[in-house]
Amino acid sequence: MTKKEPNLLDEINSKFKTDGRIQREHRIWVSINVNKLIEICRWLKEKGFTHLSSISVTDWLEKGEYELTYHLWSYDNKMLVTVKTRINRNKPIVESVSPIWGESAQIHERELHELFGVKFKGNKDLLPLFLENWQGSAPFRKDFDWRDYVREEFYDKKNEREKVYYD
Amino acid sequence: MIEEMEPAPKGTEYDFYFGPAHPGSGNFGVKLKIDGEIVVSARADPGYLHRGFEKLMEYRTPIQNAVLSDRLCILEPLNWNLVHAEAVDELMGIEVPERAKYIRVIMAELSRIQSHIIWYGVFSKGTGFDTGFKMAFGYRDYILDLFELITGGRVYPAGYICPGGVRRDFPDNAKMKILKVLDKMNKMIKLGELENPAMDARSKDVGVLKLKDAIRLGVTGPVLRGSGMNVDVRKEEPYEVYDRLDFEVPVRKKGDAYARYCIGIEEMKQSVKIVKQALEDLPDGDVIETSLKKPKLSYKIPEGEVYVRNEIARGEAAIYMVSNGNSTPYRVKVRGPDFLHMIPVLEHLLKGVQIADVPAVYWSLNICPADMDR
Repeated sequence: MTKKEPNLLDEINSKFKTDGRIQREHRIWVSINVNKLIEICRWLKEKGFTHLSSISVTDWLEKGEYELTYHLWSYDNKMLVTVKTRINRNKPIVESVSPIWGESAQIHERELHELFGVKFKGNKDLLPLFLENWQGSAPFRKDFDWRDYVREEFYDKKNEREKVYYD
Repeated sequence: MIEEMEPAPKGTEYDFYFGPAHPGSGNFGVKLKIDGEIVVSARADPGYLHRGFEKLMEYRTPIQNAVLSDRLCILEPLNWNLVHAEAVDELMGIEVPERAKYIRVIMAELSRIQSHIIWYGVFSKGTGFDTGFKMAFGYRDYILDLFELITGGRVYPAGYICPGGVRRDFPDNAKMKILKVLDKMNKMIKLGELENPAMDARSKDVGVLKLKDAIRLGVTGPVLRGSGMNVDVRKEEPYEVYDRLDFEVPVRKKGDAYARYCIGIEEMKQSVKIVKQALEDLPDGDVIETSLKKPKLSYKIPEGEVYVRNEIARGEAAIYMVSNGNSTPYRVKVRGPDFLHMIPVLEHLLKGVQIADVPAVYWSLNICPADMDR
């Protein structure tokens, strides 16, 4: 491992009072309070993390939280920093990072808004991408069971051959 | 979303659908607003291939997911196999045997070649060079025959690259056959390199993507290299055995459709070089980790999370996998390169081009709707 990872991690930890860790070469994971999210994102962008690889949401149903992960790649340092933050699952509102990374952030947030129902404040275009005329709850949430949904929508209980799906 | 077409306010403006039922566009449409012959604005219309892989994977074990990961992209299933297998390997701490690593690289590069051949084919078709299309699909079949010999499936390998290594070893004649097919590929590359005035005229200075815009739009892979940035995940953070192999990363400065087409041809050459080296160095030994030789009933993934990046034919592919200790992953996020290439990038590039240039721009991006919709 080169010296770059420990150096950057020390800098992040002392500046934002976090306890990030190095997983292996090229990989740093940092958890941060949602209030400081935009601040750390801006700071990392200035440090050379110009490529937003992806944004993801993990639904921790039992804790009632959504975990947002921002995977940032730096072409100069050859490092991936993942910034993690947690928000309330029932009121999923978070500041958008699209002013920082532009369209690439915008489109990832648009997808997550559709699949998880996270509202990104400041993102101008959050129209649905994949699902047409979808009325139900966000389909990628853990409490949405697509098996139940398919059973109710597409199978017929009275049909001899489709009865098995209800046993 | 198909909305009602708005009535044209003046005689020269109209709405125009490109796709989703075009033979080459894939299951994907773009809604264009056109004034005369110029595209005023474009709006991507994804969703025709949305199957919800990320959710499906939460209900299945890694061995089942390996098969599922084929379907992430129709044109390069083996590369997606590899990304998924690497994510599980890292999460479970599996040491992959040396021979399996080399076989993985060989298969991934063969898959890259055939994917780039399709790229050449559909790009030729888009620019009105139908011979190129037929030639490409003819030559691609040689590689599909190889896939049939090695994996059992022509297009979908049914999870050939699985967690722990690969499903089965090369058959005895595989090496000889691969070398023969590589000769055929060299012929194909030569044909692709030929000066073609019609294709030049259709693609030069068309759909210019500036480097600054490219980074902001999240472009990766050959499209970014066509705009002048020397990046390649195989060089940045070498996975499998790429650090032991000698290959170059082709870069073009101009960022137009022609530059991207040149990158495609150059990359095929490099992939042929990689496969030859890997075949030469191929060590003996097992092809799958010992404990996984027989199917395991109690497959438990240790708690943790990983983010694995790979360079596939279209750009940067990544899988973010979270496990809470069960036999199925808790959350899988699939990051496909075309999610960016087909929505923000396409919308950006189509603005202001002539209607006749739309196919050239569209197919120069090396797109695949399957890994956008997932």
